[in-house]
Amino acid sequence: MTDFEALRTAIIKGKRNDVTAIVQAALEEKEDINRLLDEGMIPAMREIGDKFSRNEAYVPELLIAARAMQTGLALLEPLIAASGRKSIGKIAIGTVKGDLHDIGKNLVAIMLKGAGYDVIDLGVNCDTAKYDSAVKQGADIVACSSLLTTTMPYMREVVEHFKGTHVKVIIGGAPVTQAFADEIGADGYSEDANGAVKLVDSLYHRAS
Amino acid sequence: MTELTGKERVARQLKHQPVDRIAVMEQFWSHTISHWVEQGVFPAGESPEDHFHLDIAMNWSFNLKINPDMQDRLVAEDEDTKTFLDGNGATMRRYKGHDTTPEHLGYSINTCEDWKEKAKPFLTPERKRIAFESYRREKRHCEEKGRFFCWAGVNVFESIHPICGHENFLMAMALDPDWVRDMVDTYADLWIHLMEILIAEEGKPDGIWFFEDMGFKGRPFMSPEMYRELIQPAHSRTIAFAHSLGLPVLMHSCGFVEPLLPGMVEAGIDCLQAMEVKAGMDLLRIYQNFGDRIALMGGLDVRPITKNDRPGILRELESKVPIVMKKNGFLLHSDHSIPESTDYDSYRYFLENGLRIGTYPS
Repeated sequence: MTDFEALRTAIIKGKRNDVTAIVQAALEEKEDINRLLDEGMIPAMREIGDKFSRNEAYVPELLIAARAMQTGLALLEPLIAASGRKSIGKIAIGTVKGDLHDIGKNLVAIMLKGAGYDVIDLGVNCDTAKYDSAVKQGADIVACSSLLTTTMPYMREVVEHFKGTHVKVIIGGAPVTQAFADEIGADGYSEDANGAVKLVDSLYHRAS
Repeated sequence: MTELTGKERVARQLKHQPVDRIAVMEQFWSHTISHWVEQGVFPAGESPEDHFHLDIAMNWSFNLKINPDMQDRLVAEDEDTKTFLDGNGATMRRYKGHDTTPEHLGYSINTCEDWKEKAKPFLTPERKRIAFESYRREKRHCEEKGRFFCWAGVNVFESIHPICGHENFLMAMALDPDWVRDMVDTYADLWIHLMEILIAEEGKPDGIWFFEDMGFKGRPFMSPEMYRELIQPAHSRTIAFAHSLGLPVLMHSCGFVEPLLPGMVEAGIDCLQAMEVKAGMDLLRIYQNFGDRIALMGGLDVRPITKNDRPGILRELESKVPIVMKKNGFLLHSDHSIPESTDYDSYRYFLENGLRIGTYPS
């Protein structure tokens, strides 16, 4: 019988060998993949995200938890498609055109994946055509990041580009504020990576 | 008080002693100056320190790359960017059109074994790592101008992430602290040995300016506990070495590092520089909590300057400078660097009004 508490703890502590052992044992026992994800792995990443928001965890702890999560997901991935599990949402994320910074963007991508979302990571220097390519792959939320005051204005172009479509545009990054998001008509703004998950939850009408 | 030289002014301010006016220093993205040169408002070939009569100048004198002989090698180029392989074995991409931190694409140091084999044996204090002539020239120029002269370069955090990447480095802090300690000790030793060589041959600077970006928006990269355990020992050691020579230490950090500040003060910093407002750093709060113990440089939001918003510039100066100059330890600077979208006249307006407000009554 799967020890879900041990699985959650292993992810939160970043112990990927423990995660591997627990997930492999669970698969041998024909454990329900949805239970592994929904009762073990995803709540663990949400918990570390909440600790991050409360300054009880920092980037190193977040990164090792995400790595442990990825180790477990890699074992499950071949079975997820076959299980018929439905995506809870697909998000395209990228640093906007003119900007090559990616640490903040990567943290948001990690947290969204950890929360169970499908994430298309477009990398850096993304123009509207790049975001469009992800929308064609099914993304219905576009998350834009920027570190520089000089690249932040491109977010307005992205918002304008998707205006009138079903695609929602959310923004974040060092110089970005709620006031700027309101000014350009973005569908949401988040201060940090965990906040981005809660924002996406709210856009998909999911309880955090 | 009679007018002080920049050197006298800065030295006194770092000790919280009375001065004629607050000192001034600024950093500019390189395209800002070239843009102003193109516009004909800034003389080609002149330094910003000379042009704006800044009180501090710095010289980057050390090459701490694993292979100091290797120049950045172009490995790819497109319309907007150039990709280089550097002397740390890191692949990085830079914009052609504007100057900013490069995107790091890959590293040759990914594990402790890589470090022991490909990096540590080569990080030795060789003379070729030191730019003697450039140091000598800048030092002499500062003496002629009466300017405070800083040796400038990176401390351990900013030495390590370029060889293995932020994410790898930060994960190692949690998973393999012994490896991190080894890297931190190696770079601290290297810096001290190189500084001994430099000073023996060329004489002392007036101060040490460490760049050490340890934060981002709203939080530091690591917890205060992790800072104290893994990074602070190197800061304490390098700063103690500088202090043993009578040299004050100014430390720059981007991002929100207030939670680390008690540890940085314990480590011995004499001045904190930058204090990015957009990352959450609050000059007035930092002044209230630390203004007795360290000098502060920066903390003035660059965004009104960038937007050429004169009322905003004045509001930022008037709401902060009269308060933080009270203990003599505040030096005028934006909260990071002046980007190329800034008009020359807007920076001048910031500078002139900052110094007007920052002049002490005689």
